[in-house]
Amino acid sequence: MDTDIDRVDISLLQMSDSFFPTGLYATSNGLESLSQIKKLKRKDISRFITIHLRQVIGPSDCTALGNAYESCRKRDFASLLTADKSLYFMRMVEETRSASVRSGNQLLKCVSSFTKYKKVLRDYQNAIRNGNATGVYPVSLGVATWSLDIPKNKAGLILFYGFAVSVIGAALRLGILEHLERQQIIHELRPVILESIMKNIERPISNMWQFAPGLDILQMKHEMMDSKMFIT
Amino acid sequence: MSSNRIPRVGIGGPVGSGKTMLIEQIVPILSAKGYKAGIISNDVVSKEDADRMRQNLATEKGLVPEELVIGVATGGCPHTAVREDPSINLSVVEEMESKYNYLDLILIESGGDNITTTFSPALADYFIYIIDVTGGDKYPRKRGLGIENCDLLLINKIDIAPYVGADLKIMERDAKIVRNKKPTVFVNSKTGQGVDIVVSYIIRDLLFEASPKTLVNN
Ligand SMILES: Nc1nc2c(ncn2[C@@H]2O[C@H](COP(=O)(O)OP(=O)(O)OP(=O)(O)O)[C@@H](O)[C@H]2O)c(=O)[nH]1
Ligand SMILES: [Mg+2]
Repeated sequence: MDTDIDRVDISLLQMSDSFFPTGLYATSNGLESLSQIKKLKRKDISRFITIHLRQVIGPSDCTALGNAYESCRKRDFASLLTADKSLYFMRMVEETRSASVRSGNQLLKCVSSFTKYKKVLRDYQNAIRNGNATGVYPVSLGVATWSLDIPKNKAGLILFYGFAVSVIGAALRLGILEHLERQQIIHELRPVILESIMKNIERPISNMWQFAPGLDILQMKHEMMDSKMFIT
Repeated sequence: MSSNRIPRVGIGGPVGSGKTMLIEQIVPILSAKGYKAGIISNDVVSKEDADRMRQNLATEKGLVPEELVIGVATGGCPHTAVREDPSINLSVVEEMESKYNYLDLILIESGGDNITTTFSPALADYFIYIIDVTGGDKYPRKRGLGIENCDLLLINKIDIAPYVGADLKIMERDAKIVRNKKPTVFVNSKTGQGVDIVVSYIIRDLLFEASPKTLVNN
């Protein structure tokens, strides 16, 4: 029996697959509105993703994910709700906030349809139903990966990889990248992704932050766009 | 959860075949019978369809509350949004189900797409596929998952059939053959011709003749 691989690795692949049904393929995270202002090139896309990872997804989403995961491990439901609320209120742009809530809720529904460890999933979903939680995506991902025994750092990988792929997919469909460039960028982003996980996944929730006013403005502009392909 | 499930009609079809206009005809007929509908419109590049239906059906006619006409963007993948990964549409449906449980049905328009579009059964309970005559009378014969699998096939814009040389008899015959006797209805969504038949199919095959919820509760 080969001990290098186990079932959890398959769950990891499953959760990172862009076919995993959470609607991320329909989000551009502000790229669509940026592409209206500026003619974008390949290097702009890596830069756009890198800023997002360092200034937003790392210090806020990844931190919320890490805390949610730990809350499940310690059976500390109150701190799970804190992670949920803290991240929800940090998402200032309505469009982005509701997209995250919708993806998160669908993720929970999907995973609870096949995982054996349902209790915390069920409790969290009940809290959402009763208005005590929202189900924002990174927190839902923390709960789901914990229930699938996926290690915490690898849950971080799913978060960052999913984000990068959704932006890159949007860039492809907006006609900015071709299919090989897409893969090259993912390859290049590996160090940034690893660095962002290491820096942020153990961060206490009280030190969660995000700072990317330019990106916030882009996402607000997206809300106002009349003609658009993407949800965010 | 499933006890709150509101019956849903998925309406698919190629770009410009008349999906939005069909909904604009269906809702007043349903409404006159007392049935209340929510509307979700998947648009490929704009929210124009949702805005148009909100203006027409909600603001002007007052048949639907404005917040019950919702536009959904599809990331340029209209078939994905209703089939492979219907999660965004499901979220919107579930939000409607929890906030507006008095609704009798929800109408979901897919973005205009190719003829292989179908709806995920998790999203829609009744699938209407609408094509128009402008593609020529070969269309039903050429098959495609949408045409073959839908519960109800609509052939729209019959008013312009003579101008594009489409023979409705041929379309009717071929539709019967490829659809294995499932119904096909000819409509003109501009005038409403045939739409009453569509509504009676919805009431019979989706709602199973149930009376409108608000009438029952009063
Ligand atoms: N002559 C004629 N025109 C029609 C009929 N039904 C729709 N149209 C016209 O066809 C055009 C497209 O109708 P829509 O209802 O917007 O079509 P759609 O399928 O919703 O289009 P997309 O959502 O953009 O794919 C409009 O200009 C309508 O006025 C019809 O029965 N006869
Ligand atoms: Mg339309």
